[in-house]
Amino acid sequence: MSIREKLLDYKRRLSDRKMYSIMIVIIAAAAIFGIYQYKQASNMRQQLDNQYNRAFFDMTGYVHNVEVLLVKSLISSTPARTAATMQDAWRQANLAQTNLGQLPVSPQVLSNTSKFLTQVGDLAYALNTQNMGGKPLSDQQYKTLEQLHGFAVSLGNNLNDLQAQITTGRIKWGDLARKGTPLFSKTSANMPLQQFENVDKTFKDTPKLIYDGPFSDHLVTAEPKGLTGNNLNSEQAKQNVTAFFGADRIRAVNDIGRNDSGPIKTYSYRVLFKGAPDDQSATIDITQKGGYALWMLRTRPSGASKLNIDAAKAAGKKFLDSHGYPGMVDTYYLKEDNTATINFAYKQNNVVVYPDLIKLKIALDNGEIVGFESRGYLFAHTARSIPKPKISEAQARSVINPRVKVISSDLAIIPTEFKTELFTYEFKGRLNNSDFLVYVNAETGKEENILMIVNTPNGVLTM
Amino acid sequence: MKKIKAVVISALAIVVFSLFIHEALISVDNGGSTAYAQGSGIGDEQLLARAINGEARGEPYEGQVAVGAVIINRTRNPSFPKTIPGVIYQPGAFTAVSDGQISVPLDPNSTVVKAARDALNGFDPTDGCIYYWNPATATSPWIWSRQIVKKIGKHYFAK
Repeated sequence: MSIREKLLDYKRRLSDRKMYSIMIVIIAAAAIFGIYQYKQASNMRQQLDNQYNRAFFDMTGYVHNVEVLLVKSLISSTPARTAATMQDAWRQANLAQTNLGQLPVSPQVLSNTSKFLTQVGDLAYALNTQNMGGKPLSDQQYKTLEQLHGFAVSLGNNLNDLQAQITTGRIKWGDLARKGTPLFSKTSANMPLQQFENVDKTFKDTPKLIYDGPFSDHLVTAEPKGLTGNNLNSEQAKQNVTAFFGADRIRAVNDIGRNDSGPIKTYSYRVLFKGAPDDQSATIDITQKGGYALWMLRTRPSGASKLNIDAAKAAGKKFLDSHGYPGMVDTYYLKEDNTATINFAYKQNNVVVYPDLIKLKIALDNGEIVGFESRGYLFAHTARSIPKPKISEAQARSVINPRVKVISSDLAIIPTEFKTELFTYEFKGRLNNSDFLVYVNAETGKEENILMIVNTPNGVLTM
Repeated sequence: MKKIKAVVISALAIVVFSLFIHEALISVDNGGSTAYAQGSGIGDEQLLARAINGEARGEPYEGQVAVGAVIINRTRNPSFPKTIPGVIYQPGAFTAVSDGQISVPLDPNSTVVKAARDALNGFDPTDGCIYYWNPATATSPWIWSRQIVKKIGKHYFAK
C-alpha cells in the first residue's frame, strides 16, 4: 500500500460515525487535560509572584524604616532613647535582609546590598549594647551613622523606582527567576536585572565598618596569634605530616596543592595508610608558617564502638600531649556514627581558655584520631599573662539570679562574637532541672553570657 | 477495524499515562515529607545532607564536607542569609534546589549525612570559602573574578 492509499484508507475509516465520536472524545479529553494543566501552572506562577512581591514590598518598607531610625538616632540626646532607636533599627535591618534573600535574583547581584543591611543591623546592635551601658555615641560613631543614613536614603530611592516598575508590570519576577544562572552570561539586554545591579552599585564605596559585632570588617583580616615560626617549603611541611600520623602507619604522602589566600596559608596532602585501601585515605592541611596541622579528616568508617567516652577523651588527651599541645582539657563532646567529636580547650593556671580550641574526632572502635581541627587555637593561642581577678568570687556570685542554684565555680577566658576575650568567673548552676553556665566578668562584675548545657545520650553541648 | 482499535487504545493510553506522569511530578514536589523525614520535619543536618547530596554526590568525601562548609560559611557572611535553610533556599543559589533534587529523601547512614555532620562540627576543608563551581558546567564568567582558594574533586572553591 502506498502512503497515499494509506491516507485514503484512514479517511474512509474516519468517516465511520463511531470513529468520529471516539476521536472527538479523545480530543476533548486532551483539551481538558491541557486547560487543567495550564490553570494549575498559572495559579502556581501567581502564587510565586505574590510571594516575591510580598518579599520585595516588605523589604522596601523595612529599608525606609531603617533610614528613618538612623536619622532619629542622630537626633536623640539620651543614651536610653538612642538604645531604643538602635534596637529597632537592628530588628528592621534584619527583616529587610531576610526578605532580600527571598527575591528571585541570584545572590551575587545583590551581595553588597545584603552586606550593607547586615552591617547596619549589626552595628545598630553593638551601639544598642553600648548605649544600654550608659555610654553615649562618640563623634566618630555619629559620623558613621550619618554616612550610613546617606546610603540608606539612596537605597530607599532606588527601591522606590524599582517598586514603580514592578507595580506597572514592567518587571516580571518570573523572567528573573527563570533565567537563573545564565543571567550573568550576557545581560545587557536584560533590563530588570541591570536595575538590581544598579541598586547594588550604590554600595561599592561603603566605608569599612569597624565596631564590636560579628560582621565587622576588621575580623576578615584578623591575624592568627598562634601562628608562629618559620616559613616552610612543601617538602619540610611533608615531614610534619609524617610526624602527625606516625611514620610506621603511613604508606604514602601525596602533595595535592597549596592555598595562598587568607590569613592562614597552607599546603594540602593526601595520606595513604598501611593495610588500608586507597579510599580510606586522610586529607591534611599544614600551615606554611610554623608547619602546624590546621585540619585533618580521615574517611575510614568506624566499626562498632569499643571505647567509652572517657577512654576516647584519654586517647585525645594523649594525642594532644604528644603532638605539642600540652595543657589541653576536654570540654564538650558529641557522639555520632561510632565516633566522638571532642572539644579541647587550653588551661593555664586553672583558668580555662575557651578561645584556644582544638576539635578532635576520635573513632570509638580503636581510638584513632580521624579528625583534627585547630583554627581556633591557631587564631587565639598566645602566652597570656592572666591577672588576678579584680572582684572576689563571692562578689561575682552575688550577681547571679538568686533562683539559680550554683553548683560550682571556675575561672575562664571566653571569646566574644567579635574575637576579643573576656576574663570571667564561670558558674555552673541549676534551675528547673536544666544546667546553665553563667559568666560574670572578673574585672567589672558584669554578667557577660549565659549558656544552657544540653545533656543528650549522644553528648554534652552548650547552646 | 483492528487498526482503529489499536489507534484508539494507544491514544487513550497516552492520555492516561500523561495523567499518571502529572501525578508523579506533583508527588515529587512534596516528596520531602516522606520516607526518612522524622517527626516534626527535617532539621538542619538533614537539609544540609540533602543539599550536599544534590550538589556533590559524586565527589570525594572531602569535597562533600567542603560543599557543606561553604553553606555554613555563608550563614556567617554578611552578604548571605543568616540561617542554613535561608542559604540553601535562597532563589538561584544552588541548582540542586532549583531542580528539586533537594527533596530526594536520604538514607540516614549515607556518606552525605556524615559529611553534613562533619561540616556542622566545624571541619572546613575550604578555609572559609563562600563560593564553589564546576568549571565544566559553570556558565557565569563572573564567578572567575573570585579569589580561588583550592580545587577539590571537580569543584573550584573561592572566597
